[in-house]
Amino acid sequence: MDMKHKIYLALAIIVCAVNYGYSQNNLAPDAKHSLLRKLTIEPGVGIHTNFGTDFLISNLVQWNPTKRLALASHSSFNINNVAQRNFNYVNTDYNYSLNQKFGIGTTLYAKKISHTVLAMVGMKYTTFQETLDNPNFNKVSTTISAVSPDYGMMYSLKRGWKKYFFTTRFYLPLSPWLTEGAKIENIQGTLRDTALEFGIGIKIL
Amino acid sequence: MKKQKILTLIIGVIVGALTVFLLGSCSEEEFNPGLTRNFTIQASNGAAYAIKVALPEDYHSSFEKYSTVYVLDGQENFDFVANHCKEIANRNSVQHVLVVSIGYGNDRSIDYTPTKVGSNTGGGAQFLDFIEKELIPRVEQDFRVDTTRSSRVILGHSYGGLFGACVFAVNNNLFGNYILLSPSIWFDNEVSLLLEKQKRDINKDNPQLVFLGIGEAENSGRMQAPFEAFYQTLRDHYTDIKLSKNQEKNLDHVGSKNPNIIKGLNYYFKNR
Repeated sequence: MDMKHKIYLALAIIVCAVNYGYSQNNLAPDAKHSLLRKLTIEPGVGIHTNFGTDFLISNLVQWNPTKRLALASHSSFNINNVAQRNFNYVNTDYNYSLNQKFGIGTTLYAKKISHTVLAMVGMKYTTFQETLDNPNFNKVSTTISAVSPDYGMMYSLKRGWKKYFFTTRFYLPLSPWLTEGAKIENIQGTLRDTALEFGIGIKIL
Repeated sequence: MKKQKILTLIIGVIVGALTVFLLGSCSEEEFNPGLTRNFTIQASNGAAYAIKVALPEDYHSSFEKYSTVYVLDGQENFDFVANHCKEIANRNSVQHVLVVSIGYGNDRSIDYTPTKVGSNTGGGAQFLDFIEKELIPRVEQDFRVDTTRSSRVILGHSYGGLFGACVFAVNNNLFGNYILLSPSIWFDNEVSLLLEKQKRDINKDNPQLVFLGIGEAENSGRMQAPFEAFYQTLRDHYTDIKLSKNQEKNLDHVGSKNPNIIKGLNYYFKNR
């Protein structure tokens, strides 16, 4: 089975599983008022799971046009490698990423919480500059700016049914693992961008 | 309860699918065992190094003397490098090479670093002695290889790339070709750049082939600027150098290794 077929199979399994949940699941009686929560804004902060060296400021806008169908827009501004800005005469002048993704998925409801699983697709812009400022050598700066695809699966947990509620999100990118080649060395890249976010949600509609 | 079961099922299926892909995708194709020779050298630094040699397909049917590619972190990289050397040589209809894998004798951070910074570093000089005085003579005695400097390649990644950069500086007569991938030039306040500067007058007119590779997403705050400084130094000060630099798009320190190995080998085969 080649790479494309593996990816298609993985997505098919995920979609089937989500659909199965959709068809089998009923709305929890205590959560009927959740039907009113059609549009939410969920600002938050987070980290990447690469030992927490990146700091994220993010926002999820989620629209549920129907009880089960969820559409979402996720934006984040990442300050990368925030703790280490000077190492062995290497200065990090700046290092950040901007991510924008859109997603479609489904929402499942329970008594006090709701679960949303989303397939996300978007772009990531990363830019950073390092300068070697060692007195023994000439000063050298290098700048990297790159746009890359960003897609993966997001799980969003919302707790509470009032206007303000607690929200937490977990994002597992499918790139570079699977897209660049399902090899062990690409897992590190995938784990690097795996994100965990926490925030307060606001019910708009 | 029902909803909990469904959620568990969904998460289980997703995790299961990802696990299957992960486990099913970790193996690297083994190089032809019939063309692989194994031996161990008990080095004078006290370590025992497991050596593997990948012979060219036509080794037994020709009288050619082959170039040699010495591969650091051999336990991880041998099959990949050997298979790609064979594939590139076949595709371009050029002479094959012997691939010599150097396994771990000591911790790699000891063997591949030039100076002592903490307890687990600083054995580079002894490891280089082993390569120069024990490994290369053994390979050149036991196998039909070209024994000139220009026919020897060293390939290393990360600390292995650092070691290659130090060999370039301190013993430039040993190897004529260097494939250095994400080299840890930052090590010990860029001591490898200092070594290069000290030996520059001796080395600068030697013919060299150097391929430098890195991952574009290596943004840990230590890799890119020293890498660029090393590249600019080679470009600006060496008179007889074939030099190439590659940044693998969207890949990090580990992910960029194999793509850069392929590009580095291609560069070597086309420009040697």
